[in-house]
Amino acid sequence: MKRTSRLKAALLGATVALGGLAGGAQAATICFAFQDLETEFWVAGHQAITSTLEERGHTVIERNANEDANRQFEQVRDCIAQGVDGIIIIPQDGESAVTIVQEAQDNDVPIAVFNRPPSDLSRGIVVVADNATIAEQAVDFLVEEALADAPEGEKLQPLIVVGDLGDPNAVGRKDGFYNAIEKQADRFETPIEVASEWDAATALANLEAAVTANPDIDLVFTSSDFLFPTIRSVFEPRGMWVPRGEEGHVIMGGLDGDATACQLIKDGYVDATGVQDLYFEAEASLDAILSAIEDGEYAPNEVIEDPGFALTSENMAEREMDMWGCVLLSEGFLDQ
Amino acid sequence: MSVTSLQKDRRGRARPPRFGSIPRKAGDLILSDFFVLYLSLAYFLVLVPFLPTLTNPANLSNLLSNMWPLLVVAVGQTFVLTVGGIDLSQGAVIGLTSAIAGALLATAGSANVLSNAPIWGVLIGEEGGALNGVPGAVWLGIAAMLLAGALVGLLNGVSVAYLNMPPFMVTLVGLIAIGAFAIWLTQSENIRPLPEAFIKLGKGDIVSLYLGPQDEPRIPRRQVYSFVTWPMLLAISIAVAAHLLLSRTVFGRYVNAVGANRKTAEISGVPVRRVIVTVFVISALCAAAGSILYSARLEAGRPTLGEGAFLLDVIGAVVIGGTSLFGGRGKIIWTVFGVFFFVLLSNTLNLMNLSAFVIDMVKGAVILAAAILNVLRTRLIQERTA
Repeated sequence: MKRTSRLKAALLGATVALGGLAGGAQAATICFAFQDLETEFWVAGHQAITSTLEERGHTVIERNANEDANRQFEQVRDCIAQGVDGIIIIPQDGESAVTIVQEAQDNDVPIAVFNRPPSDLSRGIVVVADNATIAEQAVDFLVEEALADAPEGEKLQPLIVVGDLGDPNAVGRKDGFYNAIEKQADRFETPIEVASEWDAATALANLEAAVTANPDIDLVFTSSDFLFPTIRSVFEPRGMWVPRGEEGHVIMGGLDGDATACQLIKDGYVDATGVQDLYFEAEASLDAILSAIEDGEYAPNEVIEDPGFALTSENMAEREMDMWGCVLLSEGFLDQ
Repeated sequence: MSVTSLQKDRRGRARPPRFGSIPRKAGDLILSDFFVLYLSLAYFLVLVPFLPTLTNPANLSNLLSNMWPLLVVAVGQTFVLTVGGIDLSQGAVIGLTSAIAGALLATAGSANVLSNAPIWGVLIGEEGGALNGVPGAVWLGIAAMLLAGALVGLLNGVSVAYLNMPPFMVTLVGLIAIGAFAIWLTQSENIRPLPEAFIKLGKGDIVSLYLGPQDEPRIPRRQVYSFVTWPMLLAISIAVAAHLLLSRTVFGRYVNAVGANRKTAEISGVPVRRVIVTVFVISALCAAAGSILYSARLEAGRPTLGEGAFLLDVIGAVVIGGTSLFGGRGKIIWTVFGVFFFVLLSNTLNLMNLSAFVIDMVKGAVILAAAILNVLRTRLIQERTA
């Protein structure tokens, strides 16, 4: 309850901004179908969407698919049968998103996809971060830091923890990582890829194996900040979890912008993270779906891109409060 | 409870205690083939005033469409439970055969997603799956899915019948190993797009209904309800065939006999081992057929299909129907009613806007109640035959 009220406080700005955008919309019934809430990002996104809708007088029907694509498909069909005015989904993956968007549009119900885009972007309202660019910005900084400390001519060993490549977000982040590394291809060995499938246990097992086989890693990029605790549990016993400025620090970065990443940048263990603007994405989803309902548009198709940015140890002082995770951190999110 | 505390029948044999004094008519109702159907209808009627959406044609159409794929898989599980076993590998068979469907039938492939998968360049490439463009590709793909399922069933059946391994252990290994193999094949990636002819099998309408006057030139799609669909035809065909096999053939009597008492069946000349192997093959074939419906409905080959709480749904529906967990008693019609009740339960819990966790807890409680009822039925039968 306490956590909820603090999150609501953090969302006040988003709510006020949305009030101006969709003030004319009549009370609507929105089905919010999400795949699960396993990371800070999804918890905060869920909170942003539901509290904003409720505060504006709309009815929210929530459906948790518990990571089962078929169950989510059935839940969305149940929502349609209940006569909802619109649907917002966080799909299980890009492929099931395509099927679900089509199902909703075939039944004349407008649908918005929050953050995890369908593998076909041509249908539905799709709100998505420019993952490749955000990842590239973050990794550009990591590369710069790594090369600044490296002896001339020495090749460095990078490692990327890859997400579930069925999720276009994971593909974009991987592309952004390689784009940045390839700018200095002559200074880096072939990156080690560690599969996570967006699952901490899978990431732990694969990272253990990779680090045991390649103990001399110079740069790590995780495709999602939620894996930092996993990385720590592998690195710490090997003496590789060392803050900036101390001997043995591994240059490290991620993407999402959660509260843990914010704390770790402050503590010096992490050097940069790509930030998705969660509040912008929540606002954009709600605004688009409410506008479609207001206009009687059954099958709105639009891609709304969140440009994002990279929060680094260098720009931390100026941009800290632009990152949603740092806002939550300042509200005591990690003390709960 | 020790044997000495049990009551004795007229011949001096120990028998379980009576469940109080259940009136004869109530006992008849509990033992009726249609008990779960009556229960479902009563549950439905009680909830209608509180959940008006329940009788909405769109909701009824959803109820039915959610029922068909689950029914197909549950039919296979009914055979295994009746013979006194259990098949935990059905979910893994669904995942494996779904991945095979994707690899063979996809109309395109993405190197970005699949280049690390061992099937890339072997079964699927940029131009699609191995059967893409081949005449009769969908039927060949389905045959490959069924063949893969049958092989898994054969392996399970031989291990149980000839190596005398416990079905629970054999199929648990199948669940883990085959599930991992399916994920390894595609490196956990889903494969799409699949051909339209295949997708039709999972969600294609044959007859659709619109109820009401046509006041506008364009009838909103959400008011056009699926009535007769391809999955419905497939599921009903499989259920009818399974019903005839289990209730009207010598093989069906063998299945019940082996489940009731394997030793007695053996002495009576029943080819017990062949029956067990056949039953496991049927179960895996039904899982593969269910995979066709699920993959087509989700329009992708998904190696993780059938994971998670799926088995809870399958075994739960069969047990709710009345098939005995101890073998020797099972009917396809019970499974049909069990699946209907289970799907109705999920649907109504969704309409009550309960969270996924509460829904699973309620489902678990209902399965427990069904298991208790199962024991009650067994004892009622024993009392009446004593």
